[in-house]
Parts: sequence; C-alpha cells; structure tokens
Amino acid sequence: MVSKADTSVTTSTPSPGNLGPTAHLSFDRARPSVASPAVAGTGAFTHYAIDSRFRDEMFRSDGTLRAATERLGTALNNATSEQLMQLQDGVRRRFLHEGITFTVIGKEEAAEQIIPIDCVPRVITASEWDHIDQGLRQRLHALNLFLKDIYHEGWSLRDGIVPHDLVFGCPQYRMEMLGTKVPHDAYVSVCGTDIVRTHDGFAVLEDNLRVPSGVSYMLACRAAIKQAMPRLYRAHNVREVLPYPEQLYSQLASLVTWTQTPRVAVLTPGRYNSAYYEHAFLAGEMGAELVEGRDMVVHDGLVFMRTVTGLKRIDVIYRRVDDDFLDPVTFRSDSLLGVPGLFHAYRAGNVVIANAPGTGVADDKALYAYVPDLIRYFLSEEPILANVETHLCRSTEGLTFTLENLDKLVVKEVGGSGGYGMLVGPHASAKEKRDFAKRLRADPANFISQPTLALSRAACFTDGRLEPRHVDVRPFVLRGKEDTWIAPGGLCRVALRRGSLVVNSSQGGGCKDLWVINEEQRSL
Amino acid sequence: MLARAAADFYWMGRYFERAEHTARLLDYHLGRLVDTPADVLAHGWQALYSALGQPPPVSITVTDDAEAFLVADAFALAAYLIEDPANPDAIIQNWINARDNAKQLRPWLPVRVWTCLNDGFFWLRDCDFAGYWARGPNSLPARVMDRLRLLSGVIEARMSRDDAWRFLVLGRYVERLQRQTALLQAWSRLSDGNFQMWTGLLGVCAAYEAYCRVYSMVIQPAHARAFLLSNPEIPYSLSFAVRRVQTLLSGIDPAGGRYPLRAPHRHALRLSAAIETDLQAPTEDVETGDFLADFAQECRELHNIIIAEYVDYPLERGLPS
Repeated sequence: MVSKADTSVTTSTPSPGNLGPTAHLSFDRARPSVASPAVAGTGAFTHYAIDSRFRDEMFRSDGTLRAATERLGTALNNATSEQLMQLQDGVRRRFLHEGITFTVIGKEEAAEQIIPIDCVPRVITASEWDHIDQGLRQRLHALNLFLKDIYHEGWSLRDGIVPHDLVFGCPQYRMEMLGTKVPHDAYVSVCGTDIVRTHDGFAVLEDNLRVPSGVSYMLACRAAIKQAMPRLYRAHNVREVLPYPEQLYSQLASLVTWTQTPRVAVLTPGRYNSAYYEHAFLAGEMGAELVEGRDMVVHDGLVFMRTVTGLKRIDVIYRRVDDDFLDPVTFRSDSLLGVPGLFHAYRAGNVVIANAPGTGVADDKALYAYVPDLIRYFLSEEPILANVETHLCRSTEGLTFTLENLDKLVVKEVGGSGGYGMLVGPHASAKEKRDFAKRLRADPANFISQPTLALSRAACFTDGRLEPRHVDVRPFVLRGKEDTWIAPGGLCRVALRRGSLVVNSSQGGGCKDLWVINEEQRSL
Repeated sequence: MLARAAADFYWMGRYFERAEHTARLLDYHLGRLVDTPADVLAHGWQALYSALGQPPPVSITVTDDAEAFLVADAFALAAYLIEDPANPDAIIQNWINARDNAKQLRPWLPVRVWTCLNDGFFWLRDCDFAGYWARGPNSLPARVMDRLRLLSGVIEARMSRDDAWRFLVLGRYVERLQRQTALLQAWSRLSDGNFQMWTGLLGVCAAYEAYCRVYSMVIQPAHARAFLLSNPEIPYSLSFAVRRVQTLLSGIDPAGGRYPLRAPHRHALRLSAAIETDLQAPTEDVETGDFLADFAQECRELHNIIIAEYVDYPLERGLPS
C-alpha cells in the first residue's frame, strides 16, 4: 500500500549555511564545502563493513576509496542521512509514478510491483568495461556460429566438442529449425549475459539467448539517477546507454532484405506477463507496434497485423514469447499466445523473428560449460571472459561431487531462470538439501552445480544507511546484419537482503545504475 | 493503427467519460444536501440512480428521521458510486479500468498522460472518503472532476491528433451520448414537470447560463429538454456529441464519409438527422420518452457498428488488395 506521502511532491529549499539537498550531487548553485573523502566504517559509511572475502566495488581492502569511486564516495560521505533519504525517495517515487513494474509469478494479491531501485550507482572504469565488451562480442559470435552449426552441418558435434545428447536432448532444441535459413545467420540478435565479479576478476555466470529481459530497467535506472544527481553524473563523464532502443531498432531492421522501411513489431504474451512493462516500453521507444498473437494473421506465407484500416504486413517480429508458444501449428498446439502459421512464414523467409526459434539450446546451463571450448573451436581464440567452474550432474563424477558438496555449492536446473528451482547450499536448511538431493538423484541430467561465488559488493542505501550488497550485471548485446553493439552499461542487479546472493527481482533483488566512466573526468 | 490498441483507446475514453459523468452528477446532488428538503433529495437520488442504470445499495426512503437519511443514507449512496469495490461502475473502478487499458497503450501514450493517469489512480485509491465527506459531501466528486479535467488538459496538450487521440475522444462522445440520453430519459420520467429538477439538470450539463441567454431564467421543462437534446453549442447536448462523433469518424476513416457511406458514418448521420428533424419543437413527454428510448437503442447500436467496422472486421475484408 502506498501512502499519500508517497505520491506527493516534496521540495526542499537550501537555507543559509546549508548546502541544500545533495549539493555535491545536484546542480544546486551553492558550492559544496571542502569535501572529506570517505573511509569505510566512518561518516556516512559508518555501517559499511568491508569483508575481505568479497571484492568491494567502492572501497579497497584498507577501507579507502578506489580511484574510480573517489568522487562518488566523497559526495555520498558529505551528504546527510536526510539528503540521502531524499535522494532514494526521489528515484523510488519516479519509478512509482511512471509505473515501472514487474509481476511476481504466483503472487496474485500483489501481482504488479514497482521494481526496487537503489540510488547509489555502481562504477566501473572504461578499461574494465572494454574487457567485458570484447569478451561479450567474442562469446556471442561463437554462440551464433554454434547455433548455425547445430542446425546445419553439425561439425562441432561430429568433432566431439559438445556431446550429441546434450544438444538433441535439450528441450530448447528445435528440430524444425534444421536447415532453416536464418537472415544473415543472426540467430541471436539480443543477448543478455549475466556477469559477476570476484577477487579473480569478471566471469560469465550465464547467457540469456531466448528472451532476455531487464533492459528497460537499465534505461529507467539511468534516467532516474541522471535526474537525481545530475552534477555528479556530468562530472563522471559516464558512457551513455540511452541509445539502446534506436540501436535495437536499427539492428532488427538491418536483418530485412526485402524492404528499406520494414515494419517492426514487439510480440508480447500480454499484459499479465512479468515483463509486460518492458515490452510496452521498448515498442514505444522504438516506434514499433506492440502486438499480441491475436493481433496477427498469416496469409499466403506473409504475416499481417490487424489495423483499423485493414491488414498490414509485418517484417520483423521481436518476440518476447517463448518458442513453445510462437506457433500452435508447429509448436505447442494449445498455445493461445502465438500465430498459426508463423513458423511457416519464417521458414519461407517472409518475416524475421528475433531471436530465432531454437536459440535456447545455447543458453542451457549444461551447455554453458562448453562455451569456452566452442570459442576455441569456432574462433581459434582463447576466451576473454572466464566461465564459472561448472559440474554437470549428468556425469557420474559431477553428480557424486555435487551430492558430496551440496552444502558448499549452488545447484541449478539446466533450463531454469529467474532464480527459481535452484539451491544455494550454504544458505539452505538440512531439509531443503535432503529434498534437493532426492530431485538430483531422480533426474541428474537436469542439474548443474557451481561453487558459491563470492560476488562482489557495491554500496547501497538501504534501511536509511549505506551498506554493501552483492551485485552482478547483465549487459545487453545486439547483433544485426553486420554489426554488434553493446550498451556501455547494463542492468546492475543487487541482492537487497543482507547477505543474500540472489539478485533476481522476483526473489527480493533490485536494480541500480551502472556507470562506465571514461578516464577523463569533468570538473564539478 | 493496431485495431486492438484503437479499441483500448476507445474504451479508455469511455471509462473517463463514465467517471466524469458520475462525478458531475454527484457533485451537483451532494452540493444540495445543505439546503434541500429530505424528500426532494430522496427523489433526486432516485433520478440519479435511475439515470446511471444502477440499483441503489440502500433503500431510498425518507423515514421520520430525515437527519438519519441525510447523514447516513446519503453517505452510503454516494460511497457506492465513488469507491465501493462491489460496484463495477464506481468511479474508482472506471479509473482502474482506464489505467489497465492505458498500461497496454504505453507505446502510444505520451509519458505525461500516463503519469497523470497513474498519479490520479494512486490519489483516488488512497484518499479518505470519510475525511472528504466531513469537509463537504461534494468535495470528493469535485476533486475527482478536477483530476479528470487535468487529465483531459494533458491529453489535449500532449497527444498528437492521430488515430489514437481520435479513438480516445470517440469513446468519450459515444459514452456521453449514451449517458446523456439515459439522463434525459430519467429526468423526463421522474421530474413530473418539476422545474427545479430541470434547473439542476441544466446546471449539471453546464447549460444553465446558456439556457438563460436563449430563453430566460424561467425554466420550462420542455424547453430545457429540447435545449439539452438539440442545441449544438452545449458540450453535454446530444447534438454536440453526435457532431463530434461525425467529425472524429471523418478523421479516422475519411473514405468512409464519401458515398456510399460506411456503416459508422451512416449511423452517425442517422442520429444527427433524428435530433434535427424529430425534435424541432418542444414535444409532449410521452413522445419525447419514445424518442429517447429509440435514440438510446441507436446509440448502443452505434458502439457495435464502430467495433465491427474498425476492430472485429472479417479478415477477408482487411486483406490488402
């Protein structure tokens, strides 16, 4: 329930001797006083405890600010608790007013929730980001080649790079895609890769190649933080992520060969979908149509949408519907979300579907373990971004190791997502571990295990004070006819519960802005 | 424009108009609590509920205890129309419906329109009706109308005059036609020649001053009825609404306005002709009642024709040539 105060507009006027709200952050005309740099455990960071097990994004291990976060940390240190609260309230209220929501599956009474946002940005330097950028380009290139390979010649299977049964036994493998020509071989046009950071550096946690979501929250976070701390934002010379929608549009449009002015549509399952806000947001920002299956019809191998002045052809479908539901004629016959005959039109080359059906096979958590080998196989390069050590329970050794170390590992379903169906060993009760072990033994091929990662921690303003919380980041990669474009930033997900490692918004996680800062800084 | 989105805009306009219509009636009626005899008020409530086509949640009868009726029953009767979750046609429910539609229209809806609608929803959801009632029974409907006017203003200022806007406004005027017809029916049936009720209705329809300029301060029910039916300059007259519908249809489907007319254009023309030819002079109550009953049916039919023409048309008809 939102109180009246939540929806009212509060203002604050600087008084003499007071620098005004968030003077270091905003365009308040008063000059900030001489700023004192932050030290963990003192000042505004009194409750900020450095834990040597986790890399801290804000502070070095000795408690002093890192070079990249010096300006941000100092500004926060010089703001009062009330000013920080006002800052946090401002960004939260913006999300509320704009209705930036997600839907929690299985919670009918509070189905639609405002996504929690934290007002303190996470900072990454440009050189660190460039490393991620190169790694993501390499990874997506290899995965696209792999997808083309398994749906055509299958060299990587014949050469034993990936086991046959891992691919053909994967529920996301689509026999119907065998031999299908995909425009410009861009199987994956939109990819969201989860990246974590530990003391050892950045590592890929998982690839999301089907319908990755969260980009709208990344853009909303940026817009909110820009407005909340404009002075600091400007001073940091942050790389811009806001061109994402126009990049998405041009990358999708570049895949069409038969017209220069393609009509792009975002296919959504409808307003009850957990990411509906995002579907509507992206369609609006791209100037694309937001369609549901019932709005479209296939006629003579062409896809049309129903407008007030008749049927109009659609050239590109950015689908946010799973493969299973795309076309009841080809896939699940009970689907009401798709369009009968859509896959036939796709195979005929009369419509572009992004991402292509069947890409889910490459983001299966079991296949994830083979991605470094795929990079070496297809590109003859060493992987730039590391994988997290992964044990496949489908093998006897993997299963034994997992069962013996259940209390130390994170166990995930190979096709799971959203933080559902996983066990975080160190945080699980004895009963949960026993139950999970039964499930493991019953269907070992359905699980993988990874060590519990010491995810890095970033400063968050929570419960009225600055404290560290675990974070990861999901950058978004776009691939069109020739180009690959990566938003310089990403959805920084944060586990808002103290000590929690689960960053999914459906499991108590939130989001924060991620600043990729250029080396040369502007003066305040 | 995507047909489903057009339908959502159309319905959003209808929900706005419904909420505004109820708020307008309540604002007027609750403003009279202070100086109107209880039996006259009760009669007004009956007319109001009849015009809205809803059964009242409590019996509208004035017992010996007129004070109790004023304080308790009036509160219940007003609350039912404003905020009762059991009433699918309450103002808050219409606001929720409009917001649900707007959620599906985010790609077409300017951000300011959405935030204005969304803020209005939070305000209405969290407002303390009893507190407003204590300040003045009509203060909440008046605030609701302020919010709706603000929303209308933002829509007028921010939306381009494309099909999205046209369908939204079309929905408003189709709803207005239906609601105003029902209002005139209820007043014709229940006023029993009571000029005070017609004076009030002219006030509700923002037509009192205009009426006085055309006729005089002496309110004659027959004149007032004809005024609200056929004066094309009064925003809440049937004539005004029909003309707006015709203009909007011409914008949505310019070709449909040329002969042979498409069904919505033809039907709107029929409604216009009915007002202009059948009611040139004040008529007897019975004749007016029959006319209004037929007109109400035609207005419902207009809605069906619009949906059939622009939203649920057969696919074969929509294929490109």
